[in-house]
Amino acid sequence: MEFTRLKKWQDTLNLCIRCGYCFEQCHIFKITGWETDTPRGKLIMLYGLMQGDLEPSEYLAEKVFECYMCKRCDSSCSAKVPVTDIFTEAKADFLEAGLDVTGTTSFTDEDLCSRCCICISACRHEARSYDPKTDKIVIDKVKCQSCGCCVAACPSGAAKSREGFGLSQRELLEQVSTYLEGGLS
Amino acid sequence: MNTVDTKQLVDIVGKENVRENAADRYVYGSDSSVHEASAWIVVRPTDYEQIQTIVHYANKEKIPLVARGSGSGMSGQAVPSQGGIVLDMKRLNKILDINLADGYCRVQAGVVDDDLNKALKPYGVMYPVAPASSRVATIGGEIANNASGVRSVKYGAVRDSVLGMTVIMATGELVHLGCRTRVEAAGYQLDRLMVGSEGTLGIIVEATLRFVPIPKFRCLGKADFNQLEDAGRAIADIMASGAQPSLLELMDNVAITAVNKAMDMGLSDVDAILMFEADGMVKEAVEFEIQKIKEICEKNGGSNIQMSYDAAERTKLFAGRKKLFPALSKYMEHYSCTSLADDMAVPYSKMAEAARKIHEIADKNGVIMTAYGHCGSGCMHTKILMEATKGKQWYGAQKAVAEIYDYVISVGGTTSAEHGIGISKAPAFKKEKKDSLPYMLAIKRALDPNNILNPGKLMDAPDDWVTATKLRYNIN
Repeated sequence: MEFTRLKKWQDTLNLCIRCGYCFEQCHIFKITGWETDTPRGKLIMLYGLMQGDLEPSEYLAEKVFECYMCKRCDSSCSAKVPVTDIFTEAKADFLEAGLDVTGTTSFTDEDLCSRCCICISACRHEARSYDPKTDKIVIDKVKCQSCGCCVAACPSGAAKSREGFGLSQRELLEQVSTYLEGGLS
Repeated sequence: MNTVDTKQLVDIVGKENVRENAADRYVYGSDSSVHEASAWIVVRPTDYEQIQTIVHYANKEKIPLVARGSGSGMSGQAVPSQGGIVLDMKRLNKILDINLADGYCRVQAGVVDDDLNKALKPYGVMYPVAPASSRVATIGGEIANNASGVRSVKYGAVRDSVLGMTVIMATGELVHLGCRTRVEAAGYQLDRLMVGSEGTLGIIVEATLRFVPIPKFRCLGKADFNQLEDAGRAIADIMASGAQPSLLELMDNVAITAVNKAMDMGLSDVDAILMFEADGMVKEAVEFEIQKIKEICEKNGGSNIQMSYDAAERTKLFAGRKKLFPALSKYMEHYSCTSLADDMAVPYSKMAEAARKIHEIADKNGVIMTAYGHCGSGCMHTKILMEATKGKQWYGAQKAVAEIYDYVISVGGTTSAEHGIGISKAPAFKKEKKDSLPYMLAIKRALDPNNILNPGKLMDAPDDWVTATKLRYNIN
């Protein structure tokens, strides 16, 4: 596995002083509490890959694909490490190496999809397209920013993304309800 | 050799709180230092009993055990240099009690500093330690490193805020140290022994901390200096004058350039900037202090003085200093900011000389260094900026670090003011504490006979920090 795109970022990765100030910005870390889910943790893993300290794995790729690309870490980093740009390049490298994982990127339930293509116009990252040859919606996982717009726009409930980080509409509503119930009692 | 029985640990904390994937072990083997290693396994306990059982198991099997907060330490304290179990303490994050009447709060070790202060604010009090990493640093980590911060000049370090603590010893026993009162003269101050012990004597699981009233008024000032020495003299004069600043910070030209580049701060391109603050409950008293400090700055050549009581303006004025450490990475292309020789303390009268000496030594050894820090408490932060992927640069850095510490020790300073010793500062620490080292070792051997608690740190760290662990950079 070459990681040609990732290796271009080595100098930039050296700028990260691993202060961990990005922890507080990361929604996923707030839910899981594992350092591996923080922007710093992911950058450390990618550096380990480049150095040959870590072997490429689906587990590792999944961690990078799980990023919601909210970019709060980017804007809070005083060392100006473009964290999510690095993740995007890493995603391309992982896919090229055959580590085709989903993370929080969106996917389509073919059985429910009516091919109305609303999700394509809803996607501001141009990550979704229609392939007439296969009659399927195609998702570019590198371009997908896991924003969830396609999920919200899909009238058939066919556009989906992984839940379990406390961030989906349903999960947020559950949290708000729990809080309100607790508050009222 | 990894001898951990995963099943035993899963039985103790549950499967969801154990990670042994190579990626997790690698991430938990890193902190904000230049060092890295791999843990054998990462475990997240949720109560004291679980920790007792884990410690008991590790002690029986002689497995290294490294307690970890957020891993923001700069000297490799949380790096599991001999492998073993990393205890991620972040889930022990409950604020147990805020007792306004008796002037203390009780918190678990994994509570983050800023979160504690958010909880204390409605009561009009604060935990004043305030390290720059307060947004991520845990109370347990702060105690283990005897951390301090920008307001240490007035409010002291962690050791001045800790009244007592609950610690799990190497045998697995849970003990209560210290007290809940402002003063105590009941035997050995074992809680003080734990402060700064870097996880080598026990696992701190709970702390009783005192707090102070949040001052009603704060005035922050900034003065430019064309000569670093003038700023150094101003620091010494301010501290000798009887003034009581709540913050007194130095930034040299390297630091100024870095924050201007990283954050577009527009600070004056001068040799040094001093930032000073006075706080209190009575505005006239604050004004008295701040004017006194201002006059001393002016007398020593300080110019372009700005001062403000306004919270928004103070935040803006201080933003560059607050994020200086990460901003240093932007000083020069291809140069990385490494946490080396990063927090010595020197007597006030040597502040200017030390700052100049740091630059001389850096020039001589082909690296760039900055001098900044909480100079009101004698703390001089430096960082080494270098092309971290070049082996030759590490040779220069190693020489520079050794020379700087030799100087610091020669003028009566100390190796670490607030970041701790860990691995990278151990050689200088051993030189500085030459006569007390055997006693420190005796304490360690008595309390942790199987040497399971964070082994290979402080007195037991290797004499060559460069080869002590793998370095985090891909060195050619």
